[in-house]
Amino acid sequence: MTWRRRPDDDFAAEVQAHLALEIDRLVADGVSPDEAGAAARRAFGNATRAREDFHERSRWVWLEQLAQDLRYASRGLRASPAFLATTVVTLAVGLSLLTVAFTVFNAYVLRPFAVADATRLYRLAWRAPNAVGTGFSWKDYDELNGRTELFDAAIGQDMRFVTSESRTLLVSAVSPNYFTTLRPRMRLGRFLTPADEGQRVAVLGQQAWSRLYASDPAVLGRTLDLDGRAATIVGVVDESFGGLDEFPRDAWVPVDRAEGRPTEVVARLRRDVSPAQASIRLADFMARQAPPGTAERDVRAVLVPSGTANPVSVELLAVLSPVFAAFALVLAAACFNVSNVMLARALARQREIAVRLSLGASRARIVRQLLTEGLLIASLAGGLALVLAAWVVRAAVVVMFSTLPPLMASLLRVAPMRFDWRVFTFAFALGAAATLVFGLVPALQASRQPLTDALRAQRTGRASGSRLRNALVVAQVAVSIVLVVLAAVLSRNFAAMVKLNLGYSTGNVYSLNIRGVEHEMVRPVAAALAAHPRIASVAITNGNPMFVTRTAAMAPQGRGAAVNTIYSFVSPEFFPMLRMPITRGRAFRPDEATTSARVAIVSEATARAFWPGADPIGQVIVFTRPQGPVRDDDDLDGYSQVTVVGTVPDVVSGIMFEGPDRAHIYLPATAADRHAIAMLITPRAASDFRPDMLRETFRRLGQDPDRFEIMSLEEMRQLQIYPMRAASWVGALLGGIALVLSVTGLYGVLSYTLAQRTREIGIRMALGATASAVVALVMRQSVRMAAIGAAIGLTLSFAALKTLASVVELRQVRLLDPVSFAAAILVVAAATSLAAYYPSRRAARIDPAETLRAEA
Amino acid sequence: MSTQRSRTGKADDRLVLMQGTLDVLILRTLLFGAEHGQGIARAIQQTSDGELLVDHGALYPALQRLEEKKLISAAWGTSANNRRARYYTLTKAGRAHLARQSSRWRRLAAAMARVLGPEPELGS
Repeated sequence: MTWRRRPDDDFAAEVQAHLALEIDRLVADGVSPDEAGAAARRAFGNATRAREDFHERSRWVWLEQLAQDLRYASRGLRASPAFLATTVVTLAVGLSLLTVAFTVFNAYVLRPFAVADATRLYRLAWRAPNAVGTGFSWKDYDELNGRTELFDAAIGQDMRFVTSESRTLLVSAVSPNYFTTLRPRMRLGRFLTPADEGQRVAVLGQQAWSRLYASDPAVLGRTLDLDGRAATIVGVVDESFGGLDEFPRDAWVPVDRAEGRPTEVVARLRRDVSPAQASIRLADFMARQAPPGTAERDVRAVLVPSGTANPVSVELLAVLSPVFAAFALVLAAACFNVSNVMLARALARQREIAVRLSLGASRARIVRQLLTEGLLIASLAGGLALVLAAWVVRAAVVVMFSTLPPLMASLLRVAPMRFDWRVFTFAFALGAAATLVFGLVPALQASRQPLTDALRAQRTGRASGSRLRNALVVAQVAVSIVLVVLAAVLSRNFAAMVKLNLGYSTGNVYSLNIRGVEHEMVRPVAAALAAHPRIASVAITNGNPMFVTRTAAMAPQGRGAAVNTIYSFVSPEFFPMLRMPITRGRAFRPDEATTSARVAIVSEATARAFWPGADPIGQVIVFTRPQGPVRDDDDLDGYSQVTVVGTVPDVVSGIMFEGPDRAHIYLPATAADRHAIAMLITPRAASDFRPDMLRETFRRLGQDPDRFEIMSLEEMRQLQIYPMRAASWVGALLGGIALVLSVTGLYGVLSYTLAQRTREIGIRMALGATASAVVALVMRQSVRMAAIGAAIGLTLSFAALKTLASVVELRQVRLLDPVSFAAAILVVAAATSLAAYYPSRRAARIDPAETLRAEA
Repeated sequence: MSTQRSRTGKADDRLVLMQGTLDVLILRTLLFGAEHGQGIARAIQQTSDGELLVDHGALYPALQRLEEKKLISAAWGTSANNRRARYYTLTKAGRAHLARQSSRWRRLAAAMARVLGPEPELGS
């Protein structure tokens, strides 16, 4: 295969032959030889054009032209470093933000786990009409692992938090075939193998290795403390492997089946079995897992793809698309900005382009040349964006860990954010798309200039060119309005969340939960704590506020239907400890607690919902229970109705985003009660209490101190607010960048039009226009653009937030917030006036005499 | 396309060729045997009684295209009056293509004629 079919000179020879033959023919027809030559050429048309067409039709010319364009573009860009720097940096900021978002998305959603055949891994689960499960007994695991007609292998993994020398580690207890099935890369040492079953050995995660052992290569053979028992470290996995979950594991140990804990099962499907087939064949097995009494046909086996931390699904994309949209808007703003700068440059080069067009360059060629320049800028920006993105990701992780409540910071593990080929491909595609967005319009615009006007150096392009430039500024203002509204909404919600009245005080109260609690343990522990010199009081609960909520169906007797209501068993110390005033009626009496009296204190919201307008004291609440066997978690067994004796203010006891509990009732209990499984403690005022001071107390009671989790309620509150705090920071960042971009864009356009209208303004001033009239002229232009942009932006953000509000079902989150909209208008108005200020001042200083002279 | 430009600049009554038309005309001309570019141009002008407007130069991109599609093949030869010229020959594929295209064109022409009907009396 020849890469060019015919050499150009062969074609030229053919053209010559044609002309010669034609002349022969004309002469034979009686035309004089002189005239014949001219006539033949006339009949042929433009011979040079034909030769060029022939050349350009050959396959490799585009490469030759690309090289030419690149050379030309880089020469041109080197000649104007300011232009280059502005465009590259602007674009890089936009590109890097979206790349950061994609890197996180890639790390948690797209990138398969670094294990053998990750795409065929499925987590096994069952689903019944009102229950789902992923926990299996180890006996069931063995049965699943034996289903070789469906699976190549099945692994079992049981995640738990383990205390190691008073630090918390995230550990997976795994089936013997875990490592031999997944075959992750090891940094040091060896896998866990079936021979390790029953041994006290462990494989360390890479992050734990560097955190706990400072990446000491001699770590093999040393011991790791796990809940007070030593395990020998036999291996360290590579950084690429952190387990089959979102959060990388700190260590893996062989499972101890005697513990009797359930396990998750992840199976690798055989190549010849589809998930749907496996689901059908597992139906029998899963039916046995469902709660007794569930009809067999109601239970379905579910296979959840587990090759990545979060399988891509429509729901996930629906949740993430607004986030990506916000990041993409910043890139759009950056593109509009660069587009405007390029347009100005193209218009300034109008003459040059006109000359090239008149010398025979085709319009397509000019467009291609301008696009090449755009592509060059985009590639430089893309490279810079990758560097920026890597830096931002690292900085964001550092910022996150330093701003998280310490409690969470010690538990949270972040998946490695690597820049793999997916990120590079994404950044590249993004850069190319951006080039089209910011480069195409200016290029088309420039090539469409009427030749004669441009050659005469007339500024006739003003009308259409400036219309386009104004449109771009309007778009930028619109984008920045959307993002500023978003930032305002997020920060207002964050502020509201901080100020949210929980109905109780979290200050100086600690929650104490016991891992694997049995209620017999609670009484001696509570007694010992109450006697502790540093503790002022101890309250008993069946689950602490902000940790656990339990609900049951209840109805006010004689009225209305049952409502899902939160119930809490609490000891009488609970209300004073959390500074919850009794607003009506009375508090629990000590004897009511010891006898589990059928009385209740309800939140005011409950009273309003159950007995609107009536006095709740003395009213009766009836517990309705679903038909069928008693569920394990139903600890209202034996309760059928309670009488209300008091009310407390509205409380927020679960997730703060959801706002005050719609209905919440408190029932009396003591430490001896079977509902007593958690505690709240208040240290004595002025005592420098630390949770680890209680370890000795627990030890004296013969308890393992690591089973007791003590966290301050305030820290828990901070933790719940944190996502909103982080979101408001990101929102402020995006809004700020968009604002800067639109301010610079507006400034650029005003300066440019001003430069073009210098003469006009000079004439106006010579004819008696005052400086303030000239300022008003410039301001009017900017106000018009800002107003149109703001109108579009407000409409867009209203529509977007309205859609979002219909999806987000968090009561405490207000999306359509008029104050945020007003604030955004103010901020953008202030920013755009600032952008217009200097150009208008410059306009006012124009010296009419000088401008008129200069143009004459 | 240069075929669409009037050579003189003033209104020209002759028919401007549509894309794809030229290909069929070339293939049709070559049906009678090998011919060089100038010969093809002349033949088209003569057989259409000068109704069709062809810049001779515009012929070559079409020849090039046909050669790439292997509908015609080319070789340098010597003309009757002893000049070197590049001769084009119809290939088997070209012959088949021409047969298909001719019937298409005939159907199209017939259909157009039916739609337009007899020459109408225009107001002007």
